[in-house]
Amino acid sequence: MSPRRFALLGAALVAIGTAPSLRTWLEADMARHMLAQFPLLILAGAAFASALPSRTRGAVAAFNAHGLAGLLFCLLVSAFWMIPRALDQALLSFPVELAKIATLLAAGGALQLSWRPAGLVVQTFFIGNWAWMTAVVGLLYQDVSTRLCNGYLLDQQVVAGQGLVALAIVLPTALIALLAKRGVLAGDASETTQGRPTGSTAQ
Amino acid sequence: MRTAVTCALIMLLGLAAFSEVSAGFRVVTSEAARRLDVREHAPEIPDAMLVGAGAPAYSLRGDLARDGRIALVDFIYTRCESVCSVLGTEFQQLQQEIRKQGLQDRVRLISISFDPADDGDTLARYADRMHADGSVWRFASVADSQALRPLLDAFGIVVVPDGIGGFVHNAAIHTVGPGGRLTRIDDLGEARIALRSALARAEVASR
Repeated sequence: MSPRRFALLGAALVAIGTAPSLRTWLEADMARHMLAQFPLLILAGAAFASALPSRTRGAVAAFNAHGLAGLLFCLLVSAFWMIPRALDQALLSFPVELAKIATLLAAGGALQLSWRPAGLVVQTFFIGNWAWMTAVVGLLYQDVSTRLCNGYLLDQQVVAGQGLVALAIVLPTALIALLAKRGVLAGDASETTQGRPTGSTAQ
Repeated sequence: MRTAVTCALIMLLGLAAFSEVSAGFRVVTSEAARRLDVREHAPEIPDAMLVGAGAPAYSLRGDLARDGRIALVDFIYTRCESVCSVLGTEFQQLQQEIRKQGLQDRVRLISISFDPADDGDTLARYADRMHADGSVWRFASVADSQALRPLLDAFGIVVVPDGIGGFVHNAAIHTVGPGGRLTRIDDLGEARIALRSALARAEVASR
């Protein structure tokens, strides 16, 4: 896809996630808020990053060896917006809502710019950390008998929790399946280097 | 090296953000944050005109000051079948406790409805159903719908439609002094603790 198309795709995803009436609908339910709007914004950020010219990408890479800074940012952003109070604040305060949209877009962009440079080991470490964190939060959402968010109902919280646990299982599984398909997991050390995507040279 | 510095900066910003949202790593929910804030800052509640059963509208702050007793306040709507009825029985037991121990000159109960559909008559019927003793337990709704939002905000009450015609809200017992300061929030089921701390406060105030 051309950079222009990526930019258009990003803009379309942002519009779906934040257009006034859609935003209200998405945020009216805790599960839709976390499991539909968040991914939309993250994907939009990734699409925008794909539209960046290679000079900008090179400049970012200078601060992002092995994608470490970008993936750290992604982990922190995704952990932050799983805090019940942060979700509540996003509903009640417009500046917090803006910060939420901006950081999720930025996390999507960071993910796109960091994933390939990260290489197999850092990728696996990142997904593993993200998955157990998300699974624990998802289990907590389902386990507590009180409402964690003042803005959401208890049954929505349970659905959101189930969704987070499902994501925490599906994404690492998908990564392993992808690696297996590429033949990276055959067990030969030389193949591991082979399987490393190109573009991991940025330091 | 540049990556290390970038990572350190991201960590620092992250720590600041997490610390901010969790009130210094002490809370994760808005409800806990609201209670912590009330305990530490005892915010003043804004005034609102209230209407009760068969009485003219009166000012909440004026009433608190004139009455002089510590008030345990809850928020309800009379159509409520779930958590407010728990609050109702909880307040019924508190009323009994107050009368049994003869504390009605120091503590009183106020139930404020946030439902615009609750008028004086509805509240009177509800009070009847709860066997409320007018000298201990008063019911009111907010006369001016414009004043409802600031009042709920000051108390930190968030009302969410439950999708089947009712509301869900963070129900609790709020201790308010005659000076109009919100000093404490207790969970449902902790009415006795709320009463005991209100008495302690009344004691301190009377010295």
